[in-house]
Amino acid sequence: MRPPQAAPSGAAPRRRSGVPPLRAPLWALARGVLLLCAVSVVVFAATSLLPGDAAELRASPGATEEQIRALREELGQDAEPWRLYLSWVGGLLGGDPGTSLVNGRPVADAVAQRLPATATLVGGSLLLAAPAMLLLGGWAGSARRGRAVPTALLTGGAAVPTVVVAAGLAALLSGALGWVPAVSLLPPGRPPIQSPELLVLPVLSMALPTALFGGGLLAGAVADVVGRPHVADARRRGRPPWAVAAVDVLPFLMAPFARVLAVAAGGLIAAATVVETLFGYPGLGSLLVSSIASRDVPVVQTVALLAAAVVLAGLALADAVAGGTDPRRRTW
Amino acid sequence: MRRQALFTGLSAMVLAASGCAASGDGPGDSEQTSTLRYAAVGAPAATTNDPHGRVGNESDYLRFAMLYDVLTVLDENGVAQPRLAESWESEDEDLTHWHVSLREDAVFSDGEPVTADDVLFSLRRIQGKGAENNGRLSVFDLESSEASGEHELELVTLLPYAEVGVALSSLTFVVPEDSDDIVEPVVGSGPFVLDGADDTTATLTRNEEWWGPEPGVDRLEITAMPDPSARASAVASGQADVAGSVAPATARQYAEDDAVEVVTRPGGVNYPLVMDLTVAPFDDPEVREAVKLALDREALVETVFLGYGKPGADIVSPSEPFAPEADPVTRDLDRARELLEEAGHEDDVSLTLHATNSYPGMEEAAVLVSEQLAEAGIEVRVEVGPPDTYWTEVWNVESFYLNSLGGSGFVDFSRMALVTDGPINETGWSDEEWDADFDTALATADEAERHAVLGDLQQRIADDGGYVVWGIGDGIDLTAAGVTGLPTGPGFHRLQIEQVEVAG
Repeated sequence: MRPPQAAPSGAAPRRRSGVPPLRAPLWALARGVLLLCAVSVVVFAATSLLPGDAAELRASPGATEEQIRALREELGQDAEPWRLYLSWVGGLLGGDPGTSLVNGRPVADAVAQRLPATATLVGGSLLLAAPAMLLLGGWAGSARRGRAVPTALLTGGAAVPTVVVAAGLAALLSGALGWVPAVSLLPPGRPPIQSPELLVLPVLSMALPTALFGGGLLAGAVADVVGRPHVADARRRGRPPWAVAAVDVLPFLMAPFARVLAVAAGGLIAAATVVETLFGYPGLGSLLVSSIASRDVPVVQTVALLAAAVVLAGLALADAVAGGTDPRRRTW
Repeated sequence: MRRQALFTGLSAMVLAASGCAASGDGPGDSEQTSTLRYAAVGAPAATTNDPHGRVGNESDYLRFAMLYDVLTVLDENGVAQPRLAESWESEDEDLTHWHVSLREDAVFSDGEPVTADDVLFSLRRIQGKGAENNGRLSVFDLESSEASGEHELELVTLLPYAEVGVALSSLTFVVPEDSDDIVEPVVGSGPFVLDGADDTTATLTRNEEWWGPEPGVDRLEITAMPDPSARASAVASGQADVAGSVAPATARQYAEDDAVEVVTRPGGVNYPLVMDLTVAPFDDPEVREAVKLALDREALVETVFLGYGKPGADIVSPSEPFAPEADPVTRDLDRARELLEEAGHEDDVSLTLHATNSYPGMEEAAVLVSEQLAEAGIEVRVEVGPPDTYWTEVWNVESFYLNSLGGSGFVDFSRMALVTDGPINETGWSDEEWDADFDTALATADEAERHAVLGDLQQRIADDGGYVVWGIGDGIDLTAAGVTGLPTGPGFHRLQIEQVEVAG
């Protein structure tokens, strides 16, 4: 038993920022924009460091230096990298992320075409993984004989590479049981949600590791909350376990849960690159993979920035949720 | 209630996502339309609408071959046959001026007739993009060529060139004149018209106005899929009718499956060893011969192609009608060691063999080659590089690597890679007599005579050149039961799928 405390352990006065409340969202926004700028510079630099550029990869084997130079000029890629970067940023600020260096089509079209497919995948995985990670975290965090073993199981499970999980699930659900197809070719002109059988494998392959990972992270938070006096108190007063979980534990988990979800969303976007390629599912992940291979910088930049924006927005949202749901700050 | 915000937001995202895509139309309206769904090799992000520039996807080539007419096509024996061009005849003795007659009943899908101007425009556009398309049509002097009538062309070649029919085959997609910048699809005059497309799947419907025999199906769906086993699964699970180019292991896996049929295209895969004759030790003919003799070609074909192929005799284009009928080279380790000894290279030959992992079986081939050469006392280290940089950093740069040949015929290949000043002469083959005989062959109007010389030229490369064609694998496609008429000829014959039929 822990020594009795006057207040829940987490209730040390929160660090109050010196910024007046109204300016906080502005500050968050500015921070987000700065982070996005940093991300775009890093992505641009990383793509520039890869050997070869779009002109070299588009030229056929045997093209002369001169031909490649002409092609580079035609693609508008013959300026210094920083100029290329600034002109791309300039275009983006004006709402135009440029055109593909591979096929000359607007990047915005390519991204818009594939966004629904990946959003469905990530959204579906989150819907599945979110309750699962609460349950797993609850199980591991409140285990009677300590949480070392369950947490190890969760962490170990989460460490299995996505590609292995996906291959295993495909072998089981498609190969052995024959329940769902092993590939997910979306029928042309139909939204992905109308082909649920094609979503099963990719969504499960992404949701399963995410649930384990999230469960592992939440286990610690659950253990903290469960160890607090008010929980022990509620138990002593004979409150049934489900009510303890719902009333005394869950509200305290909302803040860490929201943050874990935001981080998980980032992980899901990364997992989408693997899963989409594996199942032939036409989303942003596979677009990113092949655009990197063809050094299609405007597409790589746009997709990467979009992914970063989603993660940052998720984290900001999580902060807001955390602030709003902290039971100790409840004002209503 | 605020904690629900997150979930509400997520559900909204999913719903919005599905809503965004709901604008497309449904999957066809009647059960009577027959549809062929073709899962083809292709990275969706590389999908292009320009048939004349860089085309990285087989799926794009298939679409272009169905949307646009080409001047000639090669039949299953590699012989040029009329398509949009009804005839091509030389007007002079030295085979540099060619009269081409176009068929008069070809119309673009917007109703405009296909004229000689459109053809000349397209040929010039293809030539202008030579840097992206491997110098296709570089043999023509298109500035001096002209349209001499509504459906007549006078084409000029830069040198006597008897194989104009082959040079105009398969990839001479004809677009309307003034289609300078092709970012979005332009109209064509082929057997199908474009119904709709995103970068992954294109839907085509039968062109009722096409001059040729009625295509085998009403609709065609061509989907770009980069992963070979995913293409195979697509057929096995009923999501596609054809899977283009699958790995031999996959073919074997489905060999006993009644619902899936394995269709082979002999001569589809060729991963020759490339030796640079200008670099030691390959500048020594005895070392080259030793390498050729040290390989166990049967074992290579069995391991790499799992039997879907046959051992090679170092003939670079064995599918050509004029290819010499040579027996595969049989292994002779003793002779190989002897040759190395004679060349003063008993134990000091140490090589690095480069390969890349984007071609099914190429890496395995490299490893097995290194083991087999080791038995002859040639030490080989295998280095496997990423596909993105293979064509810039290994190919035509290193002195010992595996190439992937396919598509172009021997004459084109020779012009690029075997004549002394060829732009991609990767083996450094330089033989004045050979060059002269090649020119003579191309200036020989009589086909039998020309073919005899071309066959001999192939044999000379096999004997002394830097290509070790240890085996030729089959191209392997999978089809659902009931699919018939898939083309099985060499090279780009595989693109002519307009007569393929589906049962039921």
